[in-house]
Amino acid sequence: MTCPDTPMPEAAVAAPIRIERRWPKEGHTRIPNWVYTDPDVFRKEMDVFFGGKTWNYVGLDCEVPEPGCYKRNWIGDRPVIMVRTESGEIAVLENRCAHRGAQICWQNTGKVKDFTCPYHQWNYDLNGNLQGVPFRRGAMGKGGMPKDFDPKQNGIRKLRSVNRGGSVWATFADDAPSFEDYCGTEVLAEIDHMLPGKKLKLLGYTRQLIPSNWKMYLENLKDPYHATLLHTFYITFGLWRADSKSECIPTGGGAHSVMVSHNEGKKKTEATSEMSRFRDDLELLDLETVTPRAEFNRGRVGGAWVFPAAQFGIQANSLKTRHVIPRSPTEHELVFTYYGYEDDDEEMTRLRLKHANLLGPAGFVSMDDSEMLNQVQIGVGGYPNGQGVVEMGGRDTQPADYMVTEVLIRAFYQYYREAMGL
Amino acid sequence: MDTWKPVAVVKDISADTHTLRVTLDGEAVCLYNVEGEICATQDRCPHGNASLAEGYLEDGTIECPLHQGVFDIRSGKPQCPPVTTDLKCYDVKVEGDTILLRAQPA
Repeated sequence: MTCPDTPMPEAAVAAPIRIERRWPKEGHTRIPNWVYTDPDVFRKEMDVFFGGKTWNYVGLDCEVPEPGCYKRNWIGDRPVIMVRTESGEIAVLENRCAHRGAQICWQNTGKVKDFTCPYHQWNYDLNGNLQGVPFRRGAMGKGGMPKDFDPKQNGIRKLRSVNRGGSVWATFADDAPSFEDYCGTEVLAEIDHMLPGKKLKLLGYTRQLIPSNWKMYLENLKDPYHATLLHTFYITFGLWRADSKSECIPTGGGAHSVMVSHNEGKKKTEATSEMSRFRDDLELLDLETVTPRAEFNRGRVGGAWVFPAAQFGIQANSLKTRHVIPRSPTEHELVFTYYGYEDDDEEMTRLRLKHANLLGPAGFVSMDDSEMLNQVQIGVGGYPNGQGVVEMGGRDTQPADYMVTEVLIRAFYQYYREAMGL
Repeated sequence: MDTWKPVAVVKDISADTHTLRVTLDGEAVCLYNVEGEICATQDRCPHGNASLAEGYLEDGTIECPLHQGVFDIRSGKPQCPPVTTDLKCYDVKVEGDTILLRAQPA
């Protein structure tokens, strides 16, 4: 029965997102500024990438050690919950009530017996099954849900998820390839290198809101060219240098990438002496801040970007995941999760935490990036028809065994254009 | 705790719902008329804090109005998710019309 007396408004016609934009004719060596500002581009990215056939980082299993422990997270702009169920498995659920869509979980972490939506108190078990609906049979003999209302049809969606060495990933696409096929050999090897199956120990988080488009952070992690120029801390104290032995490998058609280099200590060479910011006279009083204790990686630093929004890597002795949460075309949240292995000794745990000072919002290295990305956003925002040039190291998308290259960014935009139809 | 205390008279129990919420020593208790047999359990559902007196009595069980958890009224045992803990039960005595309760030993 329809409501009497009121005229029905005309239904809006849902249209697929069409983007009336033209990529520069030079192709993947150019990045048009509007990819960082256009709301339609952003909306399409959320659907095509985060909501599409990708595998998305959700968390580490050590964050939810016992049944009922949960962690709230986002896949793109979609809120999700990672929760350990009664059986000990980890489930990834959409964080929205099947009733009216409210987030059922408002806190970043916690422990519950089940989930109750605060709005009308619909109640779900840890697997997202609807257990109870208040006043299902009405009140005072009136109201209530229709007799044929089926709780089984009104649960919370549980996503396909996998646990690889303690890292938890989920996809919205039932027809996405397996996680292993999605990552490919090189990226999978990096994840397995960092997470060899040892039990993990959560050490902490940093979170920050960066006023720039999310892809700028992705590019930043695919850009070794900036590392030795912007991050004076790196070159001054010998953590990373333009003449370090390095590899830049685009994988997954350009979506993912592997970037590694080797910590060789402080030394003066032609490459560093050319850099105006290199200060030979600066001494770090506490050298331990930049001195890793030898461990499994044997001085090899770097890591893998797992498209769309996660990076696994090691810096000195600091093990961390980076996770990017797009908030709007011009904002993203960046979350570092610091961890160690359960069999680390106390000294190693201390070093892992100490070396985390390089990273995060106030990190000796990372703080340069968040400031820089905001400057880029301001620059491109005012000139949507302008474009960036990424020709360092050539115009191709072949793997490089050197640092001064933008090949990973080029390879990414080759992938991006194809996936976005731009 | 072994003293009997009067809490209600039988006809106070609703003829519609067959339940009545009373208090005993400051705690809410639900009285049930199960086809003539008077029973009593804690009134507050241990799952979602609802009043079981507002629930549905059927075949000796009470269904919580909030999330449809079901308990056996006589034993207090949970019968289905989402409820997992026992209800506290009370000893019941009816003298004339008066219902008297006594807390069961824990």
